[in-house]
Amino acid sequence: MKYERIMVRFGELSTKGRNKMDFVKLLATNIRRKLGGSFPDFQIETRFDHIYILVNDNDPYAMISELQEISGINSLTLVTRQEKDIDTIKKIALEMVKDKVANTFKVRSKRSDKTFPIVSDEINRTVAKEILRNTSLKVDVVKPDIIVGIEVRHEGTYLFLETFKGTGGYPLGIGGKILMMMSGGIDSPVAAYLLMKKGVLIECIHFASPPYTSSAVIDKVSDLLKILTYYQDNIRLHIVPFTKLQEAIYDNVDPSYAITVMRRMMYRISEKIANIRKCQAIANGESIGQVASQTLRSMRVINEVTSTPVIRPLVTYDKNDIIKIAKRIKTYEISIRPYQDCCTIFKPQNPRTKPNFNSTLWLEQKLDFESLVLEAINGTKSIIISANSEDL
Amino acid sequence: MIYLDNAATTQPSRALIDIYQRLESDYFANANSNHLAGRNAEKYLSKARATILESLGVEMSHRAIFVSSATEANNLALKGFALKYQNRGKHIIVSNIEHPSVYESVMQLRDQFGFEVTVLNVNHKGQVRPEDVRMALKKTTIIVSIIAVNNEIGSISPIKDIADIVHQHSKAVLHVDTTQAIGKVSLPYKDIDMFCVSGHKINALKGSGALVIKKTIDLLPLLSGGNQEFGLRSSTISIALAYTLAIATKEAIYNQQKATINVTSLYSYIRSHFAKRNNVVINSPSNGSPYIFNFSLTDKKTSVIVEALSNEGIMVSSISACHQKLTTSSYVVKALGRSEELANNTMRISFDKMTKLEDIQAFIKAFEAVVARIRT
Repeated sequence: MKYERIMVRFGELSTKGRNKMDFVKLLATNIRRKLGGSFPDFQIETRFDHIYILVNDNDPYAMISELQEISGINSLTLVTRQEKDIDTIKKIALEMVKDKVANTFKVRSKRSDKTFPIVSDEINRTVAKEILRNTSLKVDVVKPDIIVGIEVRHEGTYLFLETFKGTGGYPLGIGGKILMMMSGGIDSPVAAYLLMKKGVLIECIHFASPPYTSSAVIDKVSDLLKILTYYQDNIRLHIVPFTKLQEAIYDNVDPSYAITVMRRMMYRISEKIANIRKCQAIANGESIGQVASQTLRSMRVINEVTSTPVIRPLVTYDKNDIIKIAKRIKTYEISIRPYQDCCTIFKPQNPRTKPNFNSTLWLEQKLDFESLVLEAINGTKSIIISANSEDL
Repeated sequence: MIYLDNAATTQPSRALIDIYQRLESDYFANANSNHLAGRNAEKYLSKARATILESLGVEMSHRAIFVSSATEANNLALKGFALKYQNRGKHIIVSNIEHPSVYESVMQLRDQFGFEVTVLNVNHKGQVRPEDVRMALKKTTIIVSIIAVNNEIGSISPIKDIADIVHQHSKAVLHVDTTQAIGKVSLPYKDIDMFCVSGHKINALKGSGALVIKKTIDLLPLLSGGNQEFGLRSSTISIALAYTLAIATKEAIYNQQKATINVTSLYSYIRSHFAKRNNVVINSPSNGSPYIFNFSLTDKKTSVIVEALSNEGIMVSSISACHQKLTTSSYVVKALGRSEELANNTMRISFDKMTKLEDIQAFIKAFEAVVARIRT
């Protein structure tokens, strides 16, 4: 059975009132961009509550597996449009179920076009009879293995059998763009994934402190982002040279405050880069109380340096739940590679969990951080990670 | 690039790579096949086997089994012998600075097959004392396995004395992990019952290796199959790997004296630099292999230094716990009686016959610059 179209249904989108057409258009653009890379000739028809993709000569199943990576799609259904003629409907319905492995079925039809002379209940029975006569399938109206869907509309009759689950969420880009702080650990890729699922485009910022951090960490972050290109085709990664600032902190700041001051520097740099890159907010993988710098007291003292919103998708998640998601989206195995990331090098034995605001300011004044922050921003290098970028 | 991590692996020689490519394309036939191509391959294989044994001076007493690595050779020797002769007794003696391929093999024999293992502590110079071996020998001892040249610190154990004791006082065989010794340190190969050659440590290719055993010894094969290699190691052998291993072994032994004179002068140079330096504890004993120099730092993290040097194109090795969660620590340095802090922060510089004095000078210069610069 050859289906000539895929019906794309939206989930949460349906609740979005007047902005809806913008959402649909963006989703259509995302679909066109995603499929355009691998499939030569297809058309997209946008309707008010769904999108049709005319598959032409392409393999619809291959298209569906790519479409399942796009956020904002709730379900995908293979559909064929036929004449509004009961014999054709019978013939096609039979063809659809014939090659399916199943024991029971049910026909569910809907007649939007009331000029069609046969009522839906009658369509159900006629088609079911045809299937019963020609196959070994039995009817089960309560829990059938397969459901033959039939919709008679003005422009023709739509028949469908198979529905596939989509990612859900919103179309990528609808939520604007965020600058994601990416250390290479377990949390930040999960936070990035949750944001992307909500339709937020991401750019990433990574603080590199060679030689205190291994150059292998950059490869690790790149590998993590490569997995996330499953959801967003291209991800820009900003690599900030952070060594000088780290050394200045080490030289000037009491060890118990080193992490607090270091995080403040990171936010300062992130804010500037977010502005340059037109990102609406900064995000990270922080979760309340996970480490010293992630207590509410610490967050407040650290966050004070920026007025840009800092989004923390994992703020209430337990580590085990984060690990579960990381395993599911396949970032976990990369995240646990044993290299030093930026936070672990100067790790003092007893970092402050309740840093004092005035002490922080006083300690920070000892280093000429403004010029160091500027130097770090100027030295930042950006690379673009793509799904198909080479490994070496 | 300045490469000073030759104890990990050496750069394969260009000439051997060329020979490898030629043989692999011209003599690809299975040496077990009964046709002309197979017989020609078999000739090369026999020649390779003979060359290895002759180079080591054991052609009358020993036979060579081609394997994939020293790790495999050690596994085959220990498990193959222990399982074959377990009716004679189930006691094995090893030192506490064995390479993991030896140590983990005997631990597996202990934990899975009920063997008893005595682990001898080395002295502060990283050597096994022959007297300790004698004391540990029992009626049930079937294997004594001692590393000849330790891969981390280069300490050399008195293999000749140990061999004499083992053979005079017991029926056990002596297995020696000779990976870091071949072509570098002279050993009484004739007196050793089982030892190994690792290709990639002597400028041959990774994937080549040999286990050399006394002709009187039989082993339980770990790989069953087509009964290649006297039935001790089934698997179709690469003629090219075997042959290049043989050439490398021959050259390593032939050039040993000359190369060692050169390397010893490099070793003295680097050792005298670090001996004068503060905040350094040298782990390599003064009477060890000149190919390996190991020290610990008391003030800076060696992992950071290694990373910085690597960024400048100088490749050295470290064992360093950079983070509480990563519990990497040198059991060898600990075995010398050093503190946990020192064992957590070691650095190893290892040489090759190709290493030049300029390489060492460049390393020292870069090392000092990095140490002066970094904070941890």
